[in-house]
Amino acid sequence: MTFRHLPTFLAGLLVSAVLATPGAAAALDRAAVVAGLCGNAGQMFEAAAALTATAATGSDEDRAWALALPRALIEKTLACDAAGAVLGNGRLDAVSRVVREPAPDARAPVLSLKNRAVFEQADAALALRSTPDAGARAAALRMLERRPATIPEGLLDAAAARESDPALKAQIEGLAQTAALNASDPTARLRAIGRIAENPSRRALAQMAELTRDPAYATNADFRAAIDAATRRIERGIAIGDVLAALYNGLSFASILFMAAIGLAIIFGLMGVINLAQGELIMIGAYVTWMVQQGLRAVAPALLDWYLILAIPVAFVVTAAIGIALEALLLRHLYKRPLMSLLATWAVSLFLVNLVRVVFGTQNMQFETPFYVSGGVPVIGDFIFTWNRMFAIAFAVVTLALTWAIVRKTPLGLNIRAVTQNRDMAACIGIPTRSVDRMAFGLGSGLAGLAGLALSPIYSVNPQMGQNFIIDSFMVVVLGGVGTIAGTVVAALGIGQINVLIEPLWGAVAAKVIVLLMIIAFLQWRPEGLFAVKGRRK
Amino acid sequence: MTPITRDRPFLLLVALLVMLSVAMPLLSGTGLAPSRYLTNAIGQLAAFAVLALSLDLIWGYLGILSLGHGLFFAIGGYVVAMYLLKHSFVVTGTVPDFLQFMGWKEFPFYWAGFEFFPYAFGVAVAVTLLISGVFGYVSFRSRVGGVYFAIITQALVYVAMLLMFRNDTGFGGNNGMTGFSVILGWPMGTSGMITALAVASLVTLALVLVGCRWLVGSRFGALMLATRDDETRLRTLGYETLRLKLIVWCLSALLAMLAGMLYVPQVGIINPRVLSPELSLEIAVWVAIGGRGHLVGAVIGALLVNALKFWLSSAAPDVWPFILSGLIVLVVLVFPNGLMDLAKFRLARPMGPKRMETKRMARGIGEARS
Repeated sequence: MTFRHLPTFLAGLLVSAVLATPGAAAALDRAAVVAGLCGNAGQMFEAAAALTATAATGSDEDRAWALALPRALIEKTLACDAAGAVLGNGRLDAVSRVVREPAPDARAPVLSLKNRAVFEQADAALALRSTPDAGARAAALRMLERRPATIPEGLLDAAAARESDPALKAQIEGLAQTAALNASDPTARLRAIGRIAENPSRRALAQMAELTRDPAYATNADFRAAIDAATRRIERGIAIGDVLAALYNGLSFASILFMAAIGLAIIFGLMGVINLAQGELIMIGAYVTWMVQQGLRAVAPALLDWYLILAIPVAFVVTAAIGIALEALLLRHLYKRPLMSLLATWAVSLFLVNLVRVVFGTQNMQFETPFYVSGGVPVIGDFIFTWNRMFAIAFAVVTLALTWAIVRKTPLGLNIRAVTQNRDMAACIGIPTRSVDRMAFGLGSGLAGLAGLALSPIYSVNPQMGQNFIIDSFMVVVLGGVGTIAGTVVAALGIGQINVLIEPLWGAVAAKVIVLLMIIAFLQWRPEGLFAVKGRRK
Repeated sequence: MTPITRDRPFLLLVALLVMLSVAMPLLSGTGLAPSRYLTNAIGQLAAFAVLALSLDLIWGYLGILSLGHGLFFAIGGYVVAMYLLKHSFVVTGTVPDFLQFMGWKEFPFYWAGFEFFPYAFGVAVAVTLLISGVFGYVSFRSRVGGVYFAIITQALVYVAMLLMFRNDTGFGGNNGMTGFSVILGWPMGTSGMITALAVASLVTLALVLVGCRWLVGSRFGALMLATRDDETRLRTLGYETLRLKLIVWCLSALLAMLAGMLYVPQVGIINPRVLSPELSLEIAVWVAIGGRGHLVGAVIGALLVNALKFWLSSAAPDVWPFILSGLIVLVVLVFPNGLMDLAKFRLARPMGPKRMETKRMARGIGEARS
């Protein structure tokens, strides 16, 4: 149950409780209603009001009984006689629903222009509550929308609570707000304004702006105060929502950056090599995820929803294998020449991009959206707590914990730290530095593959996608300093957040420019990065 | 280092460039003249060779790899494009496409004066020196070097590309600038102008080559090599390397800018693609393939790779990236000094006593920490 829908939900519960208790709603005097239908214009109007009220608060049996009446009246299939009235061609008595012939002098009541509208509304109100066909309910809703001011309070809330179709339910709730705002009862309007202000959104703000043009805004001080307070409250809510949305997007962007950069940072700290193909390993990770999805579709469609989880080991192993192969075939020869390793890894990235382009084409890959990454929870304003971004964030947190555990708690991690701090000394005491390099390279590459998996529900997946993250993740490594997990975390959070916070103010380009200038300025102060290991400057 | 007068590959290349730049105008109009396409291609290749020389100066001789030299190339290119558009507008009244696209009535204020070539040239030099100077100073002062420097320059050129992709900057946006019709008062696109531009590029290349050769052969060049091979020792001996690195860095940026100024009139268009990190990386690939730390190698590398690219990107566009990546891996693993490793086998033998020196030089570069 969502925060935004909570009031409606409670109202729905209340209404359901009322409806479920027999006798709580005043039983409809059926004979009186039918008599009204056959009476003069004033009596017909009252009968229509009674029918509409039944739609809002009556019992289920009464509504089912009343459903046919307004339509029969509008279509002139109601025949009034001395004994009451007979419904339609089925020859049913209007009150008792027993088959009987109408009297020979039976007449169809004539609707005045005013009463026609009232009965149409009653018909729509009853149809909205009692028709099993969703299309007919939608049509009834459209009819009600024409005159929101005269919809009885509670009708729409009750209808929304019972509605099974989610799209129609949202429409009914929207109309309920509009109806309440336009209600003739001033206190109901004030209540509605307060209720709208509880769920700030741009739509709510537009509704408030609409109401400032209402005559009551100029004449009624209470009304004006309520509108102004609500407007302020909504604006504040929207502002908070925007900030939260930016922070949330920044956090998810930072999560991806972190996963791309932690591998880079480990490798760079260990070997002084920047892997320009890291972006392409991210891309491969995303493509492997896609292939797992396709494989499941063919082999085990029942498990299709779980492809994101099942792809985790596959993406890690494939990209780690590519990384280990890269190290064994290419980078092993280049440790003394780090600048040449830049060119070599770029050649690999060029190769991988074009290989994927030739094999899969340049179009974006289509991913299924499993239930655990679809949709989100609307929180406040435009901020929706979306599950796909939460997936990336949670994934990054788990990755962080595992990486930390590997580096801090395993023999491999101990070796990695030893070689990072002093390669020659580590070699002297018998650490196999070359195989440590290889394992670390595999670890770093595998983390890039996981980044590709985590971003596939958020960003589009195509051969060029690596480019979008690679330069930012380089900057994370530069800013964070080499070989420290904490530095990478802080730098990724900083760069991710700054990028996303500046973006709405001055645009995405300005955000990148400012981030770069800040990094260059920062290097003046700490050339070795945020969390550099203290030591001799090289 | 070999004295200039006995540096055979260098003398051969300069002689070839001079001969080509004399022969092309003389032959024009006769049946022996190269086609317009070929002439234009030669001119573009010469511009790329200047670009390669600019990077070789800083990477091969100072050990500083820039992955952002496309930035300075683009400054030259954009300024000369602004000159050409403004000049064409003043002479013929043609309104540039991007102004119409943006719905602007007149040039933005900072375009004032760009119809005068000396002013435009001055602006290009000033902007290049400003950016390279400030960026070089802050980087070298905090001793940012090696891989750090390379990826920060890459970020620099990437950010510049994003900036130029915006349409509201007044520099043509993502469509770039094109439609140049007049240069220095003469119409563009004629055979004569194509030859003239190609010859200008060849002459510039020859002059830059001679200038760089003189520089690296001088005492200053010896300091550059010393900085590359062991900067810490040089500083310990009391020499401030910041000024030296800054001078060479700015000089290299200026040469890259010059290459951009030669390149754009010949292709007739500039757009933010020249600022893509890929192009800047490719420059380093030309130099690596030709042999960094060798001026002649850088020129030959630029010519070979680009000639291959011209040919293959029309003949087999899908295959070119694979060939390029294969070439890079081959050079990086098997020929660390590029084509110069191949040339060593052929040239060293008949030269007798010089063999030792070549060998020592090659080893020195191979083992340098960069």
